Amino acid sequence: MDKQFWRWKEYNWKEEKLNWKEARSITAGIDVGSVSSQAVILTAGKIFAYSSQRTGSDSPQSAQKAINWALEGTGMKLEDIQFIVGTGYGRVNIPFAQKAITEIACHARGANFMYGSSVRTILDMGGQDCKAIRCDERGKVVSFLMNDKCAAGTGRGMEVFADLLTIPIEEIGDLSFTVEQEPPPVSCTCVVFAKSEALRLLRQGWPKNKVVASYCSAMAHRVVTLLERVGVEKEFAITGGIGKNRGVVGRIEKELNVKALTPTWDTQIAGALGAALFAQALLEKTKSLN
Amino acid sequence: MFEVFKNWEKQRHTYAKEWKKTTGGKVLGYFCTYVPEEILYAAGVLPVRILGSHEPTDLTEPHIFGGMFCPFSRDCLAQGLKGRYDYLDGIMIAQSCLHIRQAFTSWQKHIPLEFSYYLCMPNNVQSSRAEDYLAGEILEFKKAVEEWTGKEINEESLSQSIETYNHSRRLLHQVYSTRKQENPPLTGEEAMEMVISNQMTDKSEHNQALGDLVKNLEGRKLDRQTGTRLMLIGSENDDIPFIHMLESLNATVVIDEHCTGTRYFWNEVVTQNDLIKAISKRYIDRPPCPSKDWEVRRRIPHILSLAKEYQVSGAILIQQKFCDPHELDIPAIAKALETNGIRTLFLEFDVTVPIGQFKTRCEAFLEILQQEEELF
Repeated sequence: MDKQFWRWKEYNWKEEKLNWKEARSITAGIDVGSVSSQAVILTAGKIFAYSSQRTGSDSPQSAQKAINWALEGTGMKLEDIQFIVGTGYGRVNIPFAQKAITEIACHARGANFMYGSSVRTILDMGGQDCKAIRCDERGKVVSFLMNDKCAAGTGRGMEVFADLLTIPIEEIGDLSFTVEQEPPPVSCTCVVFAKSEALRLLRQGWPKNKVVASYCSAMAHRVVTLLERVGVEKEFAITGGIGKNRGVVGRIEKELNVKALTPTWDTQIAGALGAALFAQALLEKTKSLN
Repeated sequence: MFEVFKNWEKQRHTYAKEWKKTTGGKVLGYFCTYVPEEILYAAGVLPVRILGSHEPTDLTEPHIFGGMFCPFSRDCLAQGLKGRYDYLDGIMIAQSCLHIRQAFTSWQKHIPLEFSYYLCMPNNVQSSRAEDYLAGEILEFKKAVEEWTGKEINEESLSQSIETYNHSRRLLHQVYSTRKQENPPLTGEEAMEMVISNQMTDKSEHNQALGDLVKNLEGRKLDRQTGTRLMLIGSENDDIPFIHMLESLNATVVIDEHCTGTRYFWNEVVTQNDLIKAISKRYIDRPPCPSKDWEVRRRIPHILSLAKEYQVSGAILIQQKFCDPHELDIPAIAKALETNGIRTLFLEFDVTVPIGQFKTRCEAFLEILQQEEELF
């Protein structure tokens, strides 16, 4: 089988030092997105375990797979989790979630946890859409704008380019900075058109690094217009899979003339993390009512 | 109690065909709510509003100029090309925007009918000469209708027609007023079906149904939470699956400001000696379409007063894709609402609505309005 260059790292992680059995609360958030799914488990408000993998064709199955993988090797069972919130495109199809909350609210809440309460503007660059979100100091959404009419400027678009250029997706960012001079961006209105344009450039003899630089630049350009419409207030942070692509992030920062906060966690888990934090708040509320 | 309206709305073509069979009268399809229907009704004509069907359309391309074209206008023309309005005896438009006018002229060209009329409704309704100008145009239109139908439109028939239309407007107002209650006795979806069906049925028959509704509405309790009170603002909006989805998210649409809703029926014809002038005044003074709302934006104070009266906490601003007049107004409207503490969400409509994506946006918008301390 040919190498699949679009494949990004699917993995799970757990905090070995935390003893979940002693935790006051255990909650989880599951983000079934259009391209990837994540599950985050919190114990007493701290990240205990998570998983990140590709979404399958079936939302309930993807959710199950995500939570099973996050639970793997922890000794914890699904029944031990006291409250689960679902988010993402598949949020209403998660049978074991008690509540569904939009990924917009969850990304804002997740970013607030990941980057701190100074975050006011979040760019979530997801698998098949982009969201520019403004939030308050608690991570509550104040306003948002969404681009969901095409895959330009999204993770899926980057996957298409990785395959086309036969470059592992995780290497694209660094490679894009190896050009001597920044090339003009490819057409950024449509992934399919951008792909045709890239093919033409390759035929013209452009090296791969120049083509990826041109695509990263197009992606950055596209999301910057979205951000400018919502208005960028500091601090600024990026969530979602593309947040890990230095080639796009660096160019967004340059266009905006604003530095994005440095992530301490995988930016792809922000949605599920926000959902888990909401689950915790809802659990507290349930407890106080009883 | 809303079944009758729902059936009319869903079976609009069957209704018109049956009406025609029973009365032997003529049916005219109109493209814009600036058409003075009172004149047509006085001549025994049934005016029916031409609306789209929200199905993907593939057959308008050779018949319309340009890709960047209002999807609603495209959808309307598609209905004609598909033969769904094959019972029409005539069509007409009153000048509003160029897209809907192109749909009209294309229809005129490709589906010739015995009567078609372009009424030159002025765009500058704020001009001091607009009322007299339109009165002259309406007089010409009256003559054309008389010639077409062979029926004289006299003082008596015109007065009766005006009264029937005014009665309809009063009844709709009465129903709308109940939506000011803390828990409205009807949903936005029901209101939409009611007001849309009003635009394609015989007013006297519709008035009877509205009269019954007004009587029965008192004390009606809905088996649902009212949730967040919302207003729908924008261009044409007859998208029932959309409002249904919106109201499934713990929210109720309590008022609207669009041309398939309040803008259609909001003001009456105030009768005076010269009935033509009275009709002219009504169409000049009605809550304007953005193509006519200049130089002063009169819609904004009107929208704000509706929002206040109906106590809305959020407004959804809808625009048909490529609609320049609305696109120009929406930022100003959004700013005015936000300044007055009413949150807004902008959505761009197409022939078919991407319900899943819109649901995420509407849900996130409602979360902003609803999520309180329990989550933070």
